Amino acid sequence: MKEIDQLPQAEAEPEGLRARSTKIPVARGTLTGYIRQAPRVDNMSDATVMLAAIKAGDSKAADELLVLVYGELRRLAASKLAMEAPGQTLQPTALVHEAWLRLVGDRSSSFKDREHFFRACAEAMRHILIDRARRRQTMRHGGNYQRVDLEDADLVAPALPDDLLDLNEALDKFASEFPAQAELVKLRYFAGLTIEEVSEIMGISISTVKNYWAFARAWLLKEIESEREA
Amino acid sequence: MNDDVRREVASFIETIKLPFQDRSTYLETACSGDENLRRKVEALLEAHDRIGNFLEEPPFGPSIE
Repeated sequence: MKEIDQLPQAEAEPEGLRARSTKIPVARGTLTGYIRQAPRVDNMSDATVMLAAIKAGDSKAADELLVLVYGELRRLAASKLAMEAPGQTLQPTALVHEAWLRLVGDRSSSFKDREHFFRACAEAMRHILIDRARRRQTMRHGGNYQRVDLEDADLVAPALPDDLLDLNEALDKFASEFPAQAELVKLRYFAGLTIEEVSEIMGISISTVKNYWAFARAWLLKEIESEREA
Repeated sequence: MNDDVRREVASFIETIKLPFQDRSTYLETACSGDENLRRKVEALLEAHDRIGNFLEEPPFGPSIE
């Protein structure tokens, strides 16, 4: 993580991530600026080392992996969106798998490694999306109409930022009562993993994944609605 | 999962597999007098029946503004 530490700190770090680490690999200014100034880090070996450390029970390594994955996903998402034809939807699953190839390569075949990696991806993706939704909401409500860089304009929920923030709140509540089912939602929705992938990662059968998924969706829909009515 | 949580998840899962007309008989047995549980599961079933594509769309896409 040495090289990443040299990057300037961002003004808008997601709160959750800041609590975990102060070394967020996010640069000020435009995204292209960030890509230019980012040193050629050997992220691949970093990620492999972290995965090994996590397997050996080092909990700090999980936080470091999250930070690394977070930076990579943000970079990938923005560069993809810059190239996509208008109206196209970015698939989280494509990002996550590309991040895997870039950060780990095909050197590690252990599914246990993938498990830790995908969990970090799901968490990182959630932070990215929620942080953006918050910023959008602030801009809208606060009349803060400063120039919006690609970085701010790129990832937009097809629904509204409010929906995403409501979902996030409901998901936190869900997690306190149903932790396993909430984990599934993160992997499936935020990391875009398939039912089969989630089944392998969580070590539960495909039919259980489908059942939990149905339960979680119903629970979250109901919770969001009742919060709105309140 | 504690027992309450397990029962809530299990009752929901079992009920959605049933034809609509058999649900309430099943729930009566499954909840065995636990009105609180029954209300919770019924509310979930109601949401399940009109779930549409909720959460099935990827959470982000290109800018729409």
